[in-house]
Amino acid sequence: MDRKITLAHGDGGELAHKLIQQIFVSAFGNTRESHFDASFLSLDSGQIAVTTDSFVVKPLFFPGGDIGKIAVSGTVNDLAVAGAVPLYLTAGFIIEEGFLLADLRQIVQSLADEARAAGVRVVAGDTKVVEKGSVDGVYINTAGIGIARSGKTVDPKTIESGDVVITSGTIGDHGIAILAARGELGLVTDLKSDCAPLNRMIDAVMDAAIAVKMMRDPTRGGVATTLVEIAEDFKVTIQLQEQALPIRREVVGACDILGFDPLYLANEGKVLMIVPKAEEERTLAILRRFPEGANAATIGEVTDTENGKLLLETPLGSRRRLHRLSGMMLPRIC
Amino acid sequence: MDRLDSGQPRGMSEALRIIVRGRVQGVGFRPFIYQLATKNGLNGTVQNNMDGVRIIWEGQRSVILQAVSGISRMKPRLSRIDKVETTWIPARGFTDFSIIPSEASGQSSLVIPVDSATCADCLKEMRDPSNFRYHYPFINCTQCGPRYTIIDGLPYDRALTSMATFQMCDRCEAEYRDPSNRRHHAQPIACAQCGPHVTLFDSTGDRLASRDQAVEQAAEMLAIGKIIAVKGIGGFHLACDARSSESVERLRSRKGRPRKPLAVMCRNVAAAERIANVSEKEQAVLQGPEAPIVLLRKNASCDELLSAVVAPGVRTIGLMLPYTPLHHLLFDEGSYDYLVMTSANPSGLPMIFENEGILDALHGLADAVLLHNRRILHPVDDSVVQVSEQVPFFLRRSRGYVPDPVDAGHLVDGIVALGSQMKNTFAIGRERQAIIGPHLGDLEAEESLEHYQKTLDHLLHWTGIKVKAVARDMHPLYRTHDFAETFDVPVIEVQHHHAHHVACMADNQLHKPCFGIVLDGTGYGPDGTIWGFEVLHGDASGYQRLAHLRATPLPGGDRAVREPWRNAAAMLINLLGEEGSHLADVLFPEYQKEIRIIDRMIENKLNCPMAGTCGRLFDAVSAILAICRVSDYDGEAAIELSDAFDPDEQQSVSCYPFQLTEEAGLLQIDFSSMIRQIAYDQLNGTDRAQIARRFHETVVAACVQTICRLRQRQPALSQTVVLSGGSMSNGYLSRRLVQSLEKQGFSVYIHHHFPNGDGGLSLGQLMIAACQKRD
Ligand SMILES: [Fe+3]
Ligand SMILES: [Mg+2]
Ligand SMILES: [Zn+2]
Ligand SMILES: [Zn+2]
Repeated sequence: MDRKITLAHGDGGELAHKLIQQIFVSAFGNTRESHFDASFLSLDSGQIAVTTDSFVVKPLFFPGGDIGKIAVSGTVNDLAVAGAVPLYLTAGFIIEEGFLLADLRQIVQSLADEARAAGVRVVAGDTKVVEKGSVDGVYINTAGIGIARSGKTVDPKTIESGDVVITSGTIGDHGIAILAARGELGLVTDLKSDCAPLNRMIDAVMDAAIAVKMMRDPTRGGVATTLVEIAEDFKVTIQLQEQALPIRREVVGACDILGFDPLYLANEGKVLMIVPKAEEERTLAILRRFPEGANAATIGEVTDTENGKLLLETPLGSRRRLHRLSGMMLPRIC
Repeated sequence: MDRLDSGQPRGMSEALRIIVRGRVQGVGFRPFIYQLATKNGLNGTVQNNMDGVRIIWEGQRSVILQAVSGISRMKPRLSRIDKVETTWIPARGFTDFSIIPSEASGQSSLVIPVDSATCADCLKEMRDPSNFRYHYPFINCTQCGPRYTIIDGLPYDRALTSMATFQMCDRCEAEYRDPSNRRHHAQPIACAQCGPHVTLFDSTGDRLASRDQAVEQAAEMLAIGKIIAVKGIGGFHLACDARSSESVERLRSRKGRPRKPLAVMCRNVAAAERIANVSEKEQAVLQGPEAPIVLLRKNASCDELLSAVVAPGVRTIGLMLPYTPLHHLLFDEGSYDYLVMTSANPSGLPMIFENEGILDALHGLADAVLLHNRRILHPVDDSVVQVSEQVPFFLRRSRGYVPDPVDAGHLVDGIVALGSQMKNTFAIGRERQAIIGPHLGDLEAEESLEHYQKTLDHLLHWTGIKVKAVARDMHPLYRTHDFAETFDVPVIEVQHHHAHHVACMADNQLHKPCFGIVLDGTGYGPDGTIWGFEVLHGDASGYQRLAHLRATPLPGGDRAVREPWRNAAAMLINLLGEEGSHLADVLFPEYQKEIRIIDRMIENKLNCPMAGTCGRLFDAVSAILAICRVSDYDGEAAIELSDAFDPDEQQSVSCYPFQLTEEAGLLQIDFSSMIRQIAYDQLNGTDRAQIARRFHETVVAACVQTICRLRQRQPALSQTVVLSGGSMSNGYLSRRLVQSLEKQGFSVYIHHHFPNGDGGLSLGQLMIAACQKRD
């Protein structure tokens, strides 16, 4: 087999067949489904949850993961935070002509390993090869299918004052890890991306019968943008405690130099939960049993159910309103 | 006073109509005119109307003229006369003199009087052991005392003030009702028997003493170095002995303000003169009823008489005189001549002004709290004034001046201008009047925005204005941006520096298009870059941007504003490439690692907005000269840079080289060669004062050359130049700009009645929005 992807790898002929057999089918191990144009899946009765996401990551490999791993965790987490149990994935690859086969193999393997670890099966796939320069290396689209948990729903309408907001761990790791991995900034750090599927940890919380009122994974736009959306959508005011935010020293340091706010950095392996105050400790204890939840912490609370604002309380005791991530952080000091 | 009309009426008795404009309502002006008329035997009428006070005097011409001259000479203490207009009119044969009702019904009751420092008459009584108000800390009269801060509703009447809860005793009431008494209708009238009183609490909330003993004990505590929170007219101060470095340092560490200069209250003018140069004009401002903080030049003995940590790194010191009876008593009872008096609120948060929760709010700040039970309804900060070339200008316009309206010169009715993000004031238009609200500071905190909203609501309610349009800055991240949407009226966006330009025009009653040199911090430009070194031409109806400073990256945005070295490094790298990068390394060796990253941030355009602003240019030079690399307070780098040389020393220095380039018809000022040479001068050990002075001169020369070139090309452009923007607070810079431009034949105007900085922005926004609304 050639070392690089050529346009012929995508023309449906011999080369394409070889590529699929040697890289994809062997990694996913679903030989049965791969003989048909579509897969037949059996699901327990009930509601089905479906989601899809496309992954464009630069660089493709970074400390703590690669695009294959993110393509699993991103979609699995979207299902899990919606309150569904993820079961199946599909994966579509758009590959740039000239891409190294060894790299592709590594990405596909990582996608397969991650899916296995998360307990989901990759049941359909597709590859396209496009001319050099039309994409940057490889793009992946994944769709996820899951089933709704019976009898246990996440119901944001029940949010009330006093409910607490919990993060499953430190904030901003992925954003800084990626920035450092690009190498453009000369930023040196040991930081790893947090990218990980969270469905098992979320299962544990849901199985413990904790009344989770809202869950979201704070990916693009970070914790602030995610919580602003929750606040506005459900007309609740959320007040964060600046001092309570778990942020790694390396992230603080990098933000310091770059003038970034960790609350707006992307995360790929974190979940934010709103739970009743009474279940705060129990929730934290369950999260902390998992390696991806080791740094779980309460970061704020719901203070009213009318206004729909996200506020940050500073150590001085003043409150600052936070908005969605905006295009550029324009200075305002005049 | 304006020239008298010389028209010759016929007959013995002649009649003159006089319109007095300025602060002439709610300050006892009509009774004063009444007395002046009866003293001179003149008949006629006086009334308040929208223009001001209108007088008709009939009698002999010479007598009338003499009385007119008495208006300005003997005017009531709290009044301010901007203009006296006179017209001879046919006599109607009045048989007496009377105060007649206002022409526009009810309008005169809308006057909101301002707070005023204790007058000499009241002070004399307070110190007279035989007077029944001896040592009474709330003595006041019609010519002094609290006003705006205690008003709950209009018209201004005791029942609608926070004095309503105090029942006047017989003695006070007799004075209040006696038309010949100087406390006739003094709404906050009170005495020890019937009025508010003071109490001293320790930091745990235990009562230490009340009334006279409270003042005595507070004075004793201050004398031994304690920090006392003192409730004043507009809010709470933290006070401590300004001689004691230990006390001042303790205050600084408790407030978390390591270097920001602190204001000092002096026992009297003589005490102020012992530590600072006080000109006649400065003395008049210090002693005025507004009693602002006046920024004065320290003299040689300042560091002997005051702790050096009161105002480190600067040549000036902010001084004020006691302005409430309680302040005077604290000095009368104390052994000190100087007290640091700084606002008690944590920086960035609204003023503390209510008794409720006060001990919690002051916890860890004050050793004791000197409280009183007269409620402050509207907190207001101390005003800050500087006198340059005999003319005062505002750094902060608040207590004593707010909410005095001004004549906008145009109809501005129903316009609300929301002001800036920092140093915020808002402005509201009523008919032809502009009312600029109190200094509200930084709007970033939610608490500040809530306070802003309340303050604006009150003034809107009092003035009964129906809001027709809202003006806001273009900056999408200013807190006013979203707030503007809550009014449900059209929103008019105003460019930041256009607003500064027009504010200065309005301040000087200019109406024809003119040049504006706006030297400022950071303001949002419609092209998405940050502006702040602008040469504009225009008026309220529009502007052209004719020249500006070449933009350089601001790595990390606001972060680079707080840490001027970042901006300096970015400027060096961006303007001088490899050489600049090397210079940055040598100038800031402790930041080499960060400089590499900043270099890459610029290259990758990551979080690097482009900015061409005077404030940031000053910051960068300040950092290069190692004067200020990380700033503790807003404007520190620029202020300390301008204080690096003696501005009064007459010395001519040459300019650094600079270039004027042209791009798409727009002149661009390029200081690359200056920045390079300043860096080398610094590395070669050239005298810093010399570099700082040359830098100032270069900025002046660049502005003057730009204006001259623009006018040479387009002779149709104006001969008038207004100077505005935050950097104009730099007295040397604005003075040299005025001198140099005047030498080239331009008429030059600076701000007088409103701040040149962002505190004046709302006035400009108001004028621009009103103009758009009219069209
Ligand atoms: Fe400004
Ligand atoms: Mg997603
Ligand atoms: Zn008085
Ligand atoms: Zn009384």
